[in-house]
Amino acid sequence: MGKAALHRVPWRGIILFLLPVCILYFLFFVYPLGFVFIIGCTQWNGVTAPQFIGLKNYIDLLQDPTFLLSVRNNFIWALSLGFGQIPLAALVAMILARKPRGWKFLRTMYFLPNVISQVAISMMWIAIYNAEYGALNKLLELMGYAQLARNWLGQIETALPAIILQQVLYIGYFMIIILAGAMAIPSSFYEAAEIDGASVVQQELYITLPLLRGILVTSMTLAMAYGLRHFEATFLMTAGGPANSTSVMGIQLFNNMSFLRYGRANAIGSALIVLGVLVIVVLRNTLGRSESISEVQQ
Amino acid sequence: MLYETKRSLFRPLGIILKWSILLFFLLFTFVPLGWLVLSSFKTNFEFETNPFALPAVWQFGNYVKAIQISGLPRLFFNSIVVSSFSTVLNLLVTAMAAFVLSRLRFPFQNAILTTLTAGVLIPIIALMVPYFSIIRALGLYDTLWGLIVTYASINIPISVFLLHGFMRTLPRELEEAAVMDGCTLFQRFYRIVLPLSQLGIVTAGTFVFLYSWNEFLYAMLLTSSVASRTIQLGIRFFTSQFFIDYTAMYAAIVITILPSVVVYILFHDKIVRGLTSGAVKG
Repeated sequence: MGKAALHRVPWRGIILFLLPVCILYFLFFVYPLGFVFIIGCTQWNGVTAPQFIGLKNYIDLLQDPTFLLSVRNNFIWALSLGFGQIPLAALVAMILARKPRGWKFLRTMYFLPNVISQVAISMMWIAIYNAEYGALNKLLELMGYAQLARNWLGQIETALPAIILQQVLYIGYFMIIILAGAMAIPSSFYEAAEIDGASVVQQELYITLPLLRGILVTSMTLAMAYGLRHFEATFLMTAGGPANSTSVMGIQLFNNMSFLRYGRANAIGSALIVLGVLVIVVLRNTLGRSESISEVQQ
Repeated sequence: MLYETKRSLFRPLGIILKWSILLFFLLFTFVPLGWLVLSSFKTNFEFETNPFALPAVWQFGNYVKAIQISGLPRLFFNSIVVSSFSTVLNLLVTAMAAFVLSRLRFPFQNAILTTLTAGVLIPIIALMVPYFSIIRALGLYDTLWGLIVTYASINIPISVFLLHGFMRTLPRELEEAAVMDGCTLFQRFYRIVLPLSQLGIVTAGTFVFLYSWNEFLYAMLLTSSVASRTIQLGIRFFTSQFFIDYTAMYAAIVITILPSVVVYILFHDKIVRGLTSGAVKG
């Protein structure tokens, strides 16, 4: 009788328990998604009624060199994170998985910058890259390379690499995910390889890497998705300048919104969503399936 | 034999390489932050002429100035209100949903779960215009409530994922006994599943709190007045507030970093667990 009560479907209760989350999810995910795609096909200033103009916003975007430059920069971000940050994170994770002295401390420390706000981190790097008082230029002067000193964020050649590099080297997030996978590999695999005379490098190449394939693919996919949705550090450090050289799609969306071109802003938003989902689907299908994409956020 | 000598030759090299890599990333993590903290204790003259030396006299006054100039107490208050309320709201609605999705069986259960967690696929920055419109339509523009509801909602997918994963592993026996004793659905949730889910709730809560504390874009888009300004938005105004008093500005930034670091020190094992709960299966 008790069993029956446990398995009878209490619809009223279920609906009551799901209602709050569904209302918020509808307001902040479902409705906005429809909004972005529909308003993306209109001309709208946020005040008068939106006018349907079909795909004109998208055609305009494809002919806008600044937008195309932003898309290119987004792909540079995606590739730098996917093929720069992930290999570095994997390298450190593979070292820490062998539990060298202080590995727990190191794991905790590497992740620390990820809990500090991007605003504070960006202000710090603005100070480091500053032309007059920046730590980087002062360091170069001290080491006798004064001729290399420059306005790192103010020059077209260095601005984009400068923002990307400081982000790529914060490996903590993916390192922790990859490390968890590496440590789940049974140590007997390595003991057997050790007896067969395999060197540490060989063990990592032929045991760890193949077994980590799933997690590496997931991490790479996530990193590239982050690259496509990158916004904050660039907005804070250069706002897309100099001469739009560091602009990304998010910056263009923001700028169009500021100029009350809501139709165009949403066209960019839908491009962002479609490209993001496309990258995830394509990478998962080409590099192999993996179960979890739970860590995608923001 | 030859192989053995080769190995012993390479071993010290490998150890040096290994520790250089570990040291490099440790330095990259801490030297810039350390430099910022060190600078915050200097005079501006020292900062510009001798950026890497210790201050002659530690300028604790910078911190006093920082608090006075930036209006930090108000910013802190707003951020604490926004982060705590959004965390509570988020946990309340997601724990209820995760409870029925993990402990009961009913049609469309998996479809609902998949839909809720698939929200992580959407880049939140793509939703600037709709969020702005919704918050305005709800009459929440330029209020802390606008930010609270937004942050609580943005984090629905991650919290549902973490809490569902956690609640699914709880043993069924306790609930069965409770049902036989005539417990209602609400009592099962409130008296049995919720207390047993503490660990999962703390993990999800840490994520939501840190997200809300650090969020910048929507704090900027959805507010306009000083009264509803959070700390991250406040930092943006430091440059104009402090003008050329860089070291006092760095003191203000260091103060804003402290809460995140404290939360991290207290809950870092929960954060690591939360991050890896989805990954190991991958």
